[in-house]
Amino acid sequence: MISESFEYHVPKTIEEALGMIGEFGDESKVLAGGHSLLPMMKLRLASPKHLIDIGRIGALRYIRESEGQLELGALTTHFEIESSSLLKSKCPLLPETAREIGDVQVCNRGTLGGSLVHADPAADWPAAMLAVEAEMVARGPHGERKIRARDFFVDLMATALQSDELLTAIRVSPLPARTGDAYLKLHHPASGFAVVGVAVRLTLAESGSIGEARVGVTGVGAKPYRAEETERLLAGKSPTAKRLEEAAAHAADGVDANSDLYASGDYRKHLAAVYARRAIQRAAERAAGR
Amino acid sequence: MKIEGVYKLAAVRERVFERLLDPESLAKAMPGCDSFEERGDGAYTARIKVGVGPIKGTYEARVEILDRVPPEHYRMTVEGKGSGGFVKGDGAVHLSPEGDGTLLKYSGEVQVGGLIASVGQRMMQTAAKQIVNQFFQAFVKLT
Amino acid sequence: MATKYLGERIKRKEDPRLIQGRGHYVDDLKLGGMAHLAFARSPHAHARIKSIDAGAAVATPGVLAVYTGEELKGQVGFVPCAAGLEGLKIPDHPCLATGTVHYLGEPVAAVVATSRYGARDAAEKIEVDYEPLPAVLDMEKALVKGSPRVHEHLTDNTAFVAKLEAGDWNAVRQDASLKVIKQRLINQRLAPASMETRGVVASYSPGEDTLTVWSSTQIPHILKTQLAIMSKLDEARCRVITPEVGGGFGSKLNVYGEEGVACFASRKLGRPVKWIEGRRENMLATIHGRDQINDLEIYAKPDGKVAGFRCRILASMGAYHQLLTPAIPTLTALMILGAYDIKNVFVETVGVFTNEMSTDAYRGAGRPEATYIIERAMDLVAFELKMDPVEVRRKNFPSSGKDISMATGVVYDTANYEKPLKKALRLAGYNRLRKEQERLRKKGKYLGIGVSTYVEICAMGPSSRMPGGGWESGTVRVEPTGKVTVLSGTSPHGQGEETTFAQIVAEQLGVSFDDVTVYHGDTSVVPMGIGTFGSRTTAVGGSAIYYASERIKKKMAKFAAARLGVKPGELLFRDGKIETSDGAKSVPFGSIVVDAYSAKTLPAGVEPGLFEQFVFEPPNYTYPFGAHIAVVEIDEETGEVRLRDYFAVDDCGRILNPLLVDGQIHGGLAQGIGQALWEEHVYDESGQLLTGTFMDYALPKAGCFPWFHTANTETRTPVNPLGVKGVGEAGTIGSTPAVVNAVVDALRPLGVRHVDMPLKPEKIWKLMKGNAGDGGR
Repeated sequence: MISESFEYHVPKTIEEALGMIGEFGDESKVLAGGHSLLPMMKLRLASPKHLIDIGRIGALRYIRESEGQLELGALTTHFEIESSSLLKSKCPLLPETAREIGDVQVCNRGTLGGSLVHADPAADWPAAMLAVEAEMVARGPHGERKIRARDFFVDLMATALQSDELLTAIRVSPLPARTGDAYLKLHHPASGFAVVGVAVRLTLAESGSIGEARVGVTGVGAKPYRAEETERLLAGKSPTAKRLEEAAAHAADGVDANSDLYASGDYRKHLAAVYARRAIQRAAERAAGR
Repeated sequence: MKIEGVYKLAAVRERVFERLLDPESLAKAMPGCDSFEERGDGAYTARIKVGVGPIKGTYEARVEILDRVPPEHYRMTVEGKGSGGFVKGDGAVHLSPEGDGTLLKYSGEVQVGGLIASVGQRMMQTAAKQIVNQFFQAFVKLT
Repeated sequence: MATKYLGERIKRKEDPRLIQGRGHYVDDLKLGGMAHLAFARSPHAHARIKSIDAGAAVATPGVLAVYTGEELKGQVGFVPCAAGLEGLKIPDHPCLATGTVHYLGEPVAAVVATSRYGARDAAEKIEVDYEPLPAVLDMEKALVKGSPRVHEHLTDNTAFVAKLEAGDWNAVRQDASLKVIKQRLINQRLAPASMETRGVVASYSPGEDTLTVWSSTQIPHILKTQLAIMSKLDEARCRVITPEVGGGFGSKLNVYGEEGVACFASRKLGRPVKWIEGRRENMLATIHGRDQINDLEIYAKPDGKVAGFRCRILASMGAYHQLLTPAIPTLTALMILGAYDIKNVFVETVGVFTNEMSTDAYRGAGRPEATYIIERAMDLVAFELKMDPVEVRRKNFPSSGKDISMATGVVYDTANYEKPLKKALRLAGYNRLRKEQERLRKKGKYLGIGVSTYVEICAMGPSSRMPGGGWESGTVRVEPTGKVTVLSGTSPHGQGEETTFAQIVAEQLGVSFDDVTVYHGDTSVVPMGIGTFGSRTTAVGGSAIYYASERIKKKMAKFAAARLGVKPGELLFRDGKIETSDGAKSVPFGSIVVDAYSAKTLPAGVEPGLFEQFVFEPPNYTYPFGAHIAVVEIDEETGEVRLRDYFAVDDCGRILNPLLVDGQIHGGLAQGIGQALWEEHVYDESGQLLTGTFMDYALPKAGCFPWFHTANTETRTPVNPLGVKGVGEAGTIGSTPAVVNAVVDALRPLGVRHVDMPLKPEKIWKLMKGNAGDGGR
């Protein structure tokens, strides 16, 4: 469990970090909390020649509200999210998701941005990001651009972030009125990652029927996705148990499901349906209570 | 580990068959392929950089084509070795005409050993699919 | 009233330093000129080594030497196996592979370098050309005549066959009234996974011609003897020291090839050499536990009484024997009848070589397998006869008492199985739970209640039954200042005997607990010893210390009697004084210590000084028992198992410190429940280990469990003066079947009679869908 040798860089500013990323290119990796990258390096699965530790860039660690949006710096840790009173009141799905992540050490060191960029197919955050339609703010040599969550996750451990870009912030809209959200997962007993995880944000119309539901699913496929058929079947319908079950049954439609020692693809698809129904149910109940 | 899949290609099957055995096309389609050389007798050697996210490794591979029945079938064995361990594969490719194009079916058995096998099982199947998909997506464009 | 220590809930002496990170482990050791060792290991389960090219490794800056198996030939002896069984095949087990590798992770070459990083980098550069050979992984296929062999020079893959038979099998077979129940059980391979991996520092001093070895081991004295033999060194010039050891669970009850290589390298280079095992190496190349296939045949009377029990045990040895590999499944056979009076028994145990890491002792070592077999069997009888599993057990308990002879040939020291069962049933509210289960079943909910009434064998053990002797030494030395030093030949590594031993001695000598310091784990300090394993440390090692304190008391009483003008036999040791029972005459403990060391006036026939030693030879093993009850809920849609409650009532004999007993039970339960629900080491069909990290190997964590409800009954053993039996493994042994029984019980309405471990949700989901038939493999 000893990595290959590497050069360690500690940029103090985003600009300095971008300069290093540009200079070292493919031979470098950006280090955030290090809870995914460092184990891979110790196993010698990943052996970047240059490690760019952005952990000291204070400007990347914040949770704030501006122009009606909530913005989280990429280096915000899982624990900071879990314990944020601003998020608890304005976007409770994020603290709820953070609560389901890893152990104390991971929560204190691991960061939202690091997890998103790593794009582990069983990570928790992507489901929540999809459900709240987060925007990823990326900085590159040519300035800043915003990437929608649904465009951000490209494939297994691959994102839309270009190799010369740095994810700097994540923007989410606060919970609107008559809206509830929920994240439920089956924990892998070893890794704690999501065998399947489903995040939901659901808005009820004045009439009590479902206005809009967004369902993010992680763990099932090579990349996280929005369960579009489920969302379509929910829109405009009243949230009866039967309706929710019918809609949730489509939570893994068309997905080439992952299969491993712990769970077959078929089982993952089944879990997606069950967990989607439960998460939608919970989100609907919460929406009704707001 | 079993892998299998089906692809639809626009080209006629003779052309697909020929391209599938052409070192230049293969080198172009294979993600991370540094070199792909024919060694005669249906054998090839290749140097391939395999990468899934931050996991990267360079593999020296020996590919052998067997049971060649143009333009519909051949068998392929692959033996690769690199920093992440070793890979052994044995698979078959079937081509059948479909409309103006060709239907390609592949199936095989892949054995992964060493480091990758003992630390990467939870993503192995998904990663294998990704790599094969990348190859065929690129290959489809070539034909 | 004298200060009482035994039976008190006293906090552990060792905890402040351990909790605050101030303990010293092997890896904390830094010696001048120390070099570092790293290994190149086989990526194949079975392959011929065609060539090894170490050129690039040798050329790496900082590399001092590269060794291969060829260089060690004749220089370093084989890794030892101490188990003696009739007809046992023991293949040569070199520290570094020669010619052929036989399991994934087998060390092939060793690099010594000036830094740990340099050694690792160089090891990665060693090029080995392998020719893969067919790997033997399936035990049943391995036994088929003509199938590929693990060891080419052996005739087949059978390491040994042992049979145990008792009773009248003709009568059993002819009895048509008996219900015959057959079942296959799989006891899956596990990783001991101690928090501290293995580690060794070998320091050979050329001038003195001495070898000092710091090792994370459970058996310093045995290791010293074995390393002396392997290294062909005068044993008197070898010393083994165990600093703090971060857990072993049996995996460090061993002598490993890496230790042999470290000693060899240190001698060759004349400088200290350190090797610290990485976690990945620990998963690959530290012994594994369990791995048996058990085929059961139960012959039950209609009333639930079991008349006959047959079992065929296939036990995976792995590729080589480690220290006790073949002995472990023989313990399974020995304890296969558990807490039940079954007169007719037949057990055939077959040790099978496979191209995998060796199995060996892992917490419980053979007894968890036995307990799983017999406790599942009791539930199978209940299932088939539609009886309550508690009733089936009661039908088969022997009558309570001492010296209960079992058909397997063992004699249980004490038995009173009804007592903990009754207590556990009350604690759990068993009848209430059954009613709740009935209610929930009507609603389509799955609640399961699992019972296990185990008995185990520990306090190992009588020397006649132990490979290298089962005695233990204890030394008590009263220092001239009156403080007390205790030396034990055991080697506790988390069990807490620094505390327990101090309690024993403080109470015996009537001194303060804080004035007693316990040392262990240094072969030059502790005269001789066996070690810590088999729940023996307090029962056997503690008894030695008890008797050594008795000797001290006897001697001090003579000095005191002379001073006080009374008979030595009238004196009591309490609260720092030696006094007559009425307290009328007394003398301070310290003044008698001064008398003994100043030796101005010696009572007749008494030598000066106060240091006494005792070697305790146990006349029998002890057989702790208990009753565990698990309550589980199963998610009817996903098959997830939730352990709702756990009740453990254990009888480990006299309790010296309830806090430590609780601690041992809690930890033991975690590991036993871990096997039932989560843990599983998996090799694929080519012998690659798929569970090489904690991302895939599901080691239980504290958050996985509900609070355990523990209680005890105390049936003292007559086997030792303390009346203690041992408690290190009981939790693990009792809990695995309780949890599996609970899950199968929950699924009873579906007609499920067995599910193999680990009880992963997908398996249960398939059973609930009704498309997987029986849950056995």
